[in-house]
Amino acid sequence: MKTHRVAAVMVRHAYEIRRNADRITDMLYWPVLDIIVWGFFTIYLAHGGRAGGALTDFLLGAAILWGMFYAFQRDMAVGFLDELWSRNLINLFSTPLSVSEYVCGLVVVNLFKVAMGAGSAALIAWACYAFNILPHLPQFVPYMLNLMLFGLALGVFTTGLIFRYTTKVQGLAWSFAGLLQPVSCVFYPLSALPRPLRVLAWMLPTTHAFEGMRQVLAGGGFSPARFWWGLGLNAVYFALAVAFFGRIFESARSRGLLVKLE
Amino acid sequence: MLLEVRNLSKRYGDVLAVDDVSFSIQAGEILGLLGPNGAGKTTTIHMLLGLITPSAGEVRVFGLRLADNREEILAQMNFTSPYVAFPFRLTVMENLGVFARLYKVAEPGRRIAEMLRLFGVEHLKHKPIAQLSSGENTRVGLCKALINKPRLLLLDEPTAYLDPEIAWQVKQVLLAAQREFGTTILYTSHNMPEVERMCSRIVFMHHGRVIAAGSPIEITRAILKEERSEPALEEVFLRVARSEEAAL
Repeated sequence: MKTHRVAAVMVRHAYEIRRNADRITDMLYWPVLDIIVWGFFTIYLAHGGRAGGALTDFLLGAAILWGMFYAFQRDMAVGFLDELWSRNLINLFSTPLSVSEYVCGLVVVNLFKVAMGAGSAALIAWACYAFNILPHLPQFVPYMLNLMLFGLALGVFTTGLIFRYTTKVQGLAWSFAGLLQPVSCVFYPLSALPRPLRVLAWMLPTTHAFEGMRQVLAGGGFSPARFWWGLGLNAVYFALAVAFFGRIFESARSRGLLVKLE
Repeated sequence: MLLEVRNLSKRYGDVLAVDDVSFSIQAGEILGLLGPNGAGKTTTIHMLLGLITPSAGEVRVFGLRLADNREEILAQMNFTSPYVAFPFRLTVMENLGVFARLYKVAEPGRRIAEMLRLFGVEHLKHKPIAQLSSGENTRVGLCKALINKPRLLLLDEPTAYLDPEIAWQVKQVLLAAQREFGTTILYTSHNMPEVERMCSRIVFMHHGRVIAAGSPIEITRAILKEERSEPALEEVFLRVARSEEAAL
């Protein structure tokens, strides 16, 4: 892996952020809008004593963290779609650039985008809704890491599907994470799910991250178990996603799809 | 040999797109890869770039197997085709900057400026790709193709969208690159007089197979089966294309 090629991919996508209003919208508009809506909802809950402070903190914390996870997995797939839409794949892969260098460059740019989005949302949550994420940040960081890793695995998997089935399935870039949201226990505890779904929920790193987040906000402290379970599951999903993508990419090269994708 | 293609084939299901193709290029040579649409030229080029995995055969570039040395080989090669595009929201300068980084070009700013001047597109450097004409896009593609001073350059119809004056200028730049830096060029085009002027040797493909190889005059004599004193590749091309129509 060569750093100058990773840097080239980073520069390419940084230019895209500068030139493409859609990327600014993805990066800032949706996280900010989400937190505003959830913020008003927590105000509604707080008025008349419908719910306590802990619940409003759960909701706002969950909105910020879910926004990070969703944006990261979406941007991994959309970054690749940008190459497809501009018919740039042949140019890129006729250089010495490898797939792993491309993915690394995209990861770094997307981490920056996620940090900008989540940072803006956190600022609004603090300024408008009196939810300060900063004191909890050291305990949240391991869960955030797990969310990013799972987002990366899903992004790689989704990109593999796009390689296989072309832009006919590009909608997955925006919708795949949504499919997991009901069983990820983002805005409610695991105990709220019907019993058969709980097994499925425990198999998702997202569930462990959000359960861990709620424990921190409830004053229960950091849960190493939730972190390690999430990390272990991520290792499995990431290995599967990379194997799947590698196989699809080789198959695309063999079937000549790499030069025909659109 | 700078490039050696041995028994290269590509099969898609029942279709044999490239069938047992072999040829080689010496350092500093300009080789024309000709043939009607569907002859397998572009598929062959894509296999030489590692974008398509061959069903059989081997590609060796700079004495190395492409399958095992992709990174090392591609760092010293480049490619352009008017049918390939750049990210259209990025400016010319930004796009070329990305490729200069990918190839680790020394003094990228100077090299990009030199390329833009060479192909007469200096005034477009701050324009987004989306605002360029097809001819301007083609010239930006050529800037990209020469940015790393490649030892081997693959050009797929590089003058397809250019007017005769610009096409002439582009050919002079390519010939100068060959003369000054010893750049080896594999060239496909449907403009036969251009190929006659540019290429010292031709590989003529039809239905995925090499049907003739040699100098333009040798190709002319071999396919027209007549004694000629001048190359007539246009006639050769039409003879091959029409023989297919007649067979239909």
